[in-house]
Amino acid sequence: MRRSLNITPVPGAAAAEALPRIVAFVEEMAELDDWAPDLVLRSNLILEELILNTLTHGRTTGLSDIEITLESGENSVAITLVDDGAAFDPLSDGLPANTDLPLQERSIGGLGLHLVRSMAEDLAYRHADGKNHLTLVARSGV
Amino acid sequence: MELAQERNAGTNVIRPAGRVDGSNSADFHESLMAALSGDDNRVILDMGGIDYISSAGLRVLLLLAQHLGGSSTPFAVCSLAASVDEVFRISGFNQIITVFGTLDEAKAQLA
Repeated sequence: MRRSLNITPVPGAAAAEALPRIVAFVEEMAELDDWAPDLVLRSNLILEELILNTLTHGRTTGLSDIEITLESGENSVAITLVDDGAAFDPLSDGLPANTDLPLQERSIGGLGLHLVRSMAEDLAYRHADGKNHLTLVARSGV
Repeated sequence: MELAQERNAGTNVIRPAGRVDGSNSADFHESLMAALSGDDNRVILDMGGIDYISSAGLRVLLLLAQHLGGSSTPFAVCSLAASVDEVFRISGFNQIITVFGTLDEAKAQLA
């Protein structure tokens, strides 16, 4: 099954207010297509990190819509995100997360995108028609 | 966020439940800090009831670990669900926070 959800940023609203709709959308798809529990968790994590990143990191200039499309596959789900905010490639964003630093020196910057890049497969980004297009695949059991 | 808690001879065991994501991580942070006491000799966070944690939740665990590290209070987490364990490994958190398989192991070995 293939379904889409559109998120419209609300000025002044906390970015995290978008999360319950995303979780509900994922869980509805998961139930209809009988996803494994780990696939549900990974899909939620990937979407949360990417969408909160888009909504909170100053790229909301001109952003009026984020379209999330999910398509169930064999033990996997193909995720497509299209948004009309400022051009941003989350696959080549700056520094890798500082996952080797000791406790007192660790900061959390970049960790969300690091999780996405590590957990998802077949990641591809392009900027076309004034929009960011990101495709990736979440897989169960790897 | 509601936390179950058990204190025994200076060992503070804190047991959160549910999801920790960007919508409740501030609340999670506040609840954890409120669950600490200056009398704690050591703190164990039993994560057995958490099945989902995103980077927003990891940030809170990092702040907690740094706070306790600042007062040299031994701190560990235990009983990670497979999904949480995966996030810990990918983020390298298993190298900066002590992780035990079970609460009993944590109680026996954390010093």
